[in-house]
Order: sequence, then C-alpha cells, then structure tokens
Amino acid sequence: MGILEVRNLTKTFGGLVAVGDVSFAVKRGSISGLIGPNGAGKTTVFNLITGVYKVTSGEIVFDGRPIHNLEPHVIANMGITRTFQNIRLFKRLSVYNNILTACHRNARYSIADAVLRLRGFKAEERRMREDADALMEVMGLTRWRNSVAHSLPYGVQRRLEIARALAVKPKLLLLDEPAAGMNPDETQQLMSLICRIREEFNCTVLVIEHRMDLIMGICENIIVLNFGRKLTEGSPGEIQTDPRVIEAYLGEGAKIGA
Amino acid sequence: MDWFYIKGILILSGINLMAVLGLSLLTGFTGLFSFGHAGFMAIGAYTAAYLGVKMGLPLTVALLAGGFSAGLVSLFIGKLTLKLKGDYFCIATLGFGEAIRLILDNVQTFGGARGWPGIPIRVDLWNVALVNVVGIALLVNLVNSRHGRNMIAVREEELAAKTIGIDTFRYKMISLFISAVYAGVAGGLVGYYTGFLQPKMFSLNKSTELTIIVIFGGIGSISGSVLGALLLTALPEILRAFALWRLVVYGAAVIFIMISRPEGLMGGKEITWKGIASLLQRGLRLHPAAKSQAGAGAQASVGDRGGDRDGNGSASGSGSGDRAAQSIKPSF
Amino acid sequence: MDQLLQQFINGLSIGSVYALMAVGYSLVYSIMNFSNFAHGGIIMLGSYFGFFLLTLFKLPFSAAFLGAALGASVLAVLVERIAYKPLRMRNAPFLYFIISAMGASMFIENFVIATIGPTFRTYPAVFSRSPFQVGPLFVGRLDTMIFVTSAVCLLLLVYFIDHTKMGKAIRATAFNARAAALMGINTDMIVILVFAIGGLLAGIAGVLFGMKYTVYPQMGAITIKSFIAAVFGGLGSIPGAVLGSLVLGVVETLVSGYFSSQFRDLISFSLLIVILVFRPIGLMGKPAEEKA
Repeated sequence: MGILEVRNLTKTFGGLVAVGDVSFAVKRGSISGLIGPNGAGKTTVFNLITGVYKVTSGEIVFDGRPIHNLEPHVIANMGITRTFQNIRLFKRLSVYNNILTACHRNARYSIADAVLRLRGFKAEERRMREDADALMEVMGLTRWRNSVAHSLPYGVQRRLEIARALAVKPKLLLLDEPAAGMNPDETQQLMSLICRIREEFNCTVLVIEHRMDLIMGICENIIVLNFGRKLTEGSPGEIQTDPRVIEAYLGEGAKIGA
Repeated sequence: MDWFYIKGILILSGINLMAVLGLSLLTGFTGLFSFGHAGFMAIGAYTAAYLGVKMGLPLTVALLAGGFSAGLVSLFIGKLTLKLKGDYFCIATLGFGEAIRLILDNVQTFGGARGWPGIPIRVDLWNVALVNVVGIALLVNLVNSRHGRNMIAVREEELAAKTIGIDTFRYKMISLFISAVYAGVAGGLVGYYTGFLQPKMFSLNKSTELTIIVIFGGIGSISGSVLGALLLTALPEILRAFALWRLVVYGAAVIFIMISRPEGLMGGKEITWKGIASLLQRGLRLHPAAKSQAGAGAQASVGDRGGDRDGNGSASGSGSGDRAAQSIKPSF
Repeated sequence: MDQLLQQFINGLSIGSVYALMAVGYSLVYSIMNFSNFAHGGIIMLGSYFGFFLLTLFKLPFSAAFLGAALGASVLAVLVERIAYKPLRMRNAPFLYFIISAMGASMFIENFVIATIGPTFRTYPAVFSRSPFQVGPLFVGRLDTMIFVTSAVCLLLLVYFIDHTKMGKAIRATAFNARAAALMGINTDMIVILVFAIGGLLAGIAGVLFGMKYTVYPQMGAITIKSFIAAVFGGLGSIPGAVLGSLVLGVVETLVSGYFSSQFRDLISFSLLIVILVFRPIGLMGKPAEEKA
C-alpha cells in the first residue's frame, strides 16, 4: 500500500479533459517524479490532490483515507503540503514570519487564550518560535531571517516556500517545478536538499520537474503524463529508454534520431 | 480652546477609534473591505440604547450586548459571502448598511427617521478611554498570536494560506465577527454620549470615513489606526471653516495614498516601547525634528510585523513585456 | 389586471435604466476583475452634464444627451488613468483597487457638493407629462422614451461586443488578459475602451434617471441597485446584468405599487440575500475555479 493512491482520477474543465483516468501510487518514504510535456496535466494533478480543484471522478486515497473533494486546509492538516509553480509566498512578510505563520499547527492555544494571554500561550508561542528558528537553520535561511520575502533572490524564494511547506510537518510533500529558474549549481544543491528533507523530516516527496537531471538523479519511481493521460510509469532507467516517452517529449520525428 | 471642547473631541475620537480598531483587523490585517460598518454601529447603538433605556441594564452590559448583536448579524452576512470572491462581500456589506438604515427609519419604537432623543448620557472621557485601552490591548494580543498571523496570511496569499492548513473561511469569519463587535460597542457609545440616535448618523458616509481612517493610519498597523483616528477626528473639528472641502480632500488623499504610499502613515509597523526607547537613545543627537513627527518616529521604532510594503519595491520588480497583461487581473 | 400590466411597464422602464448602469459596471468587472465603485459618481456627473447643457447652455435635447454621454465617458477614462492605472502597473492587490475606487467616488460626490451645491434640481420638461393610451393602458411618454433609449443602447452594445473586431478583443481580454496580450492585443487600450463605454452608458443612464426623478449629488448611490442586479444576474455577465436589472425594476415597482413604497428600497437587498442563499453565482453566471 502506498501512502498516496490515485485511482481513475479525472478532471474536466467544460469540455476539456485536463486529467483523464489517471491511476498511480506513491510508495511511503520514496521520492517520486511526475513528468510530462507542457500541458500534460501535472499541476492539475497536484491541484486535485491538494483540494484546490474539485475532482470530476475517481478517487484519491491518502494514508488509507479518501481525501478527494475535501477542503484544501483539511488536506494540508492531514499531512500533504505543497509548493507552487509560480511561487506563492506571503510576499510582504519577512522570511521568519512566513515560516512562523506556517508553524501555527504546532500550537494549540485558542483565540481566547491568545487575547487574554491565558494558559500555555507564552510557552507554546516560544516553542513555535524555536521551531521556526530551527527550521530556518536546517533550510539555510537564517541569514535572510528579516528580509521581506519578495525581495529575496529567486532561488531563496523557492527554498523558503519549501521551508514553509515543511513547517506544517507533512507526511507527503509535493514540489511543483522546484528547480525552475535555477542554474546547474543551484539545482545540484536542491537535489541534495530534497534527499536530506526525506531523511530529516521523514516524509515522502512527489516532485514535478522538467529538469531531467534532477528527476533521474533522485527519483525512485517516475510517472509520465501526456495529454492528461498516464503514459507509463517506472524506474529512471526504464523511463529513459522508453520510446513512448521520448516520442511524447520530442515528437514523432525524433524517433529517427533516437 | 477650553477643556470642555477638547474633551468633546477626545471622546469623539475615542468612539471613532473603537470602530476603527475593529475595521483595522478586518481590512488592515485580513484584507477584507467593508462598506457596511456603520450598519454594525447602528445595530450596536440601538440594541445598547434599548437595553439601557427600556430594560434598565447597566452600561457595560448594554454595550457588550450591543457589540454581540452586531457580531451575530455579521456572521450571517459572512456565511453568505465569505466563501465567494471579495466583491460579493463588498456588495453585500454595501447593501446591508443601507438596508439597516432603511429598516430603522421605519421602526417607530426607536423613533423612526426622526430619531430617538432622551437617551441618558453616561459616556464620559474616562470610560471611553477605558473601553479603548481594553480594545487595543485585546487586539494587540490577538494580532501577535498564531491566529493573527493566520489572518495576515489570508490577506497576503489566500491559496497558499489554505495549503499550509489555514481554514481561511473560518479566519475571515472570526475577523468579521470581532470587527463587528467593536463597531457595535462603538455604536453603543455614540448613543450614550450624544443622548440621541438617528438612522442617518449611520450612513454610507460613516462607513467610508472609518475605512479612510484605517487607510490613513496604515494597513496592518494598530498604532497607525490610533493615530489616524485621533488626527482625522480632531482635524475637521478644528478646521470647521474647511468642512465643505474636507471630504473632497479625503477622497483625493485616499487615491493618492493608494497610488503612491499604500502602506499609509505607519506602513505595517507599530510603535513599540522598545522602539521608542531606542529612538530616544539615538534620536536626539541624530535629528531633533524627527521627534516632533509621529510618522518619522515610527519609522525608526520598528516593531516589524511584516506589514504592507508593496509599492515602490515591487513596481520596479517586474519589467517584462506582458506586465500590463498580468496587471490587468489583480490577484489577491 | 390592467394595473398590473401598467406597473409591469413602469418596472421595465426603471429596470432598463438599472441595466444601463449594471452593464457598464459588469463590463469593467469582466476585464479588471474588480468592482468599480466609482461608477455611481460617473452616473451622477452625466446627469449634471445633461442638466446644465439643457438649462445653462440651452442646447436641444439630443445635443445635451450626447454631450452628457461623452462627458461622462471622458471622465470615466480619466478616473481609470488616475486612480487605477498606477495600481494595474504594479500588480497591486484587489483591496487597493477597491479603496482607490472608494476614494474616487468620494472625491467626485463631494466635489459636486462643494462646487455646485447639495440641492436637488429638476430637469426641464422635455417630454410631455401626459401619457398616451394603448388600448386600456396609459403609458407614460417619458417611460416609453427611457425604455426605448435604453434598449437601443444595449442592443448597440451587444452588437459591438459580438460582431466587431474591437468587441472580440474585449471578449478575449475578459477571458484571459495575459493570453490576449500575447496575441498582440493592447490590453491597456482595451481598458480605456471599456471605461469609455461604461462611462457612455453611465452618462445616458444619468440623464434618463435625472429626467424621471431629480438630479442631486448623492444620486450615485442608486448604483448599489445595479451592483445587486449584476450579482443577481451573475457578476461579469452582460446578459445576466440586463436580466437582473429588469427583474429588479419590475419587482420593485410591483412591491411599491401593491405594498408600500417604503419597502421598495429594501427589495434589492432582500433579493441579494435570496440569490446569495440559493444561487450565489447568479442567474447566468458560470461557476469558476480559482486558478492555481
């Protein structure tokens, strides 16, 4: 049993089938890749898993419980968090406050406790701040602590978004094109970061990426989408040699060259 | 100016401030825009007056009940509109504010459109000040907690807030409820200060005035709201001769603030004790003039809650060709 | 029965003016994705333009009518240039647009109060007040003229949007501004165009409304009814806005005719509540999912 099981997932917009009858499973503790040409429906799959879109038909089971059509915040609290292709940080907040906000799940005090400074407010708040500091340290964001998010370099913004997602302590982390806009050096660092995240945060990672070096370098299992359907699935070795994948990426003519 | 006159202005500022504090939470921290807060004030005012005059309840109970009833009504509006796009909420509050006024115009128990005179005057400077001190303290505590940060997250990027597990609808509702309670209490104070209530005291203009104070003070700053309420209530009283042009200037100023300095007077920063102390330490030597001006002082005394720093920074940020196209659809 | 029909016709006449306002507002909404709350101010200015062109400059009605529409149109574009364009250029959040719109609305209304004065003014009688008879019905000349004028304007607008190249560009921009810009549509020009059309319709609505009732600085507040009509029909949908306005106009006249005119202004709000409870996307709106 995988941590995430997607069965016959379909999403249509009007008459357009964005995702059609897609099934796959993600193994607990793995790093898996979701690839495919532009418009293959990868981000739509993420949006369906995280509840941003409502599912047209099919089901999504996370940790043995169906989650399709639950509210996004419920799904996040069950243990799935994500990053966005077009980074969505709390732009005008500092790095620290971005992370601290996401740590909100680590405290339990109510609104009355907060307003009247009752019970464990101080202790819980202090623990949250420690959590946030620790997370910044692990993610190498400490030197940017008080910088406003939208003023950060692009790569740091991506890293901050991952850190924010990790603050919720997810069991499954979805990364939507984390290497976009990064140079090869930064991509290398990102790859080791993703591997480290799996170990240190004990979570499963599913990543959408166009950079094949990243996908082939860290993923154990790769799912290939094309035109909203699942083309194939397999290990990096299998995917690299699969003629259908090459064709999907490079078009009919590439066969001759390949 | 004699003390009586100054006291009157201070009480009026205090009443306005109470309503502005609530609106500051809603607009400044949660990013929701209301055209109907005068309506919540009206509900609070008439409820509090009714409970005090007709049922003889003490002032504190009457004010709280007034605030609470305004809060209840706000939950109804929120339930209908806060799951939809922001415009629905705006239009609903606009309609609500006008509807409350029309209903009160026709309720003869409360004197209808002619008004309700003879409410005992029980509000003085000390109890207005007390209400405000409590109001500010509670709000500061709320804003500096995980709940306050969640509201700010809703304002900054709603979708991202959802994906880190924040129930954005719930936080919008809470924010609306609290802001309506504050407005209701402020309304209650109005009745017990002027001794007279009339539906047209709670017109759309009143709602707009409250919002303008929040914007002047600075989106996402409580101390800004306090300064704004004191300045903008006192100014027109002092410049009576200018009354006709006051709102013209306000309108122009609001546009000007939005296009040039959307962070307002305080710009998401707060005046804090620590900030004032450090300012005093270096301030005097540095620039004698800085102390006299509240805005400049605030700049130095940073209690950063990461407020609104859009504007100049992001204007230069993107320079691509389809910038115009992106900017057409404001995303919030 | 005759009375019912009579009220119905009156309602259509009022509803058609709401429609003129609501369509301008919806058009801007569909492109900019925010509610232009300064629309009421433009309607009021249009009404004053018409009034002064008729009384002060003694222009013939058709010239005054045209002048009011053009004047309102120019001012609507001016408001966009001053209050919204700088915000568009830096991708400001939704909230800032609303606040800026509120500022503009406040400025316009109070500027008129400060310069022209707060008094109510009555349009000179352009049309004879005596109604004409169709079978058993007495139909007001003014009401008929209002309805016909509004209908013609709306038909012209629909033709423009559906059958001209510029109309197509507007639809494309409403559908996806970014893609439209990539296709070579000058989206900034589209924004100007949309505000110009909205202003034109607002000016016409202002003159018609002024003729039916009176002219006064706060008359922009009636746009709340067109906002509600637009929500009723489905925010951003032009046929929806027309339908919503007509329904609102008819229901209002019927209620004030059969119950009490005091309830008339509460109708729009009640209608808003009903639609939000049962069908928040409006009569003709399409459910939309936020793009991630």
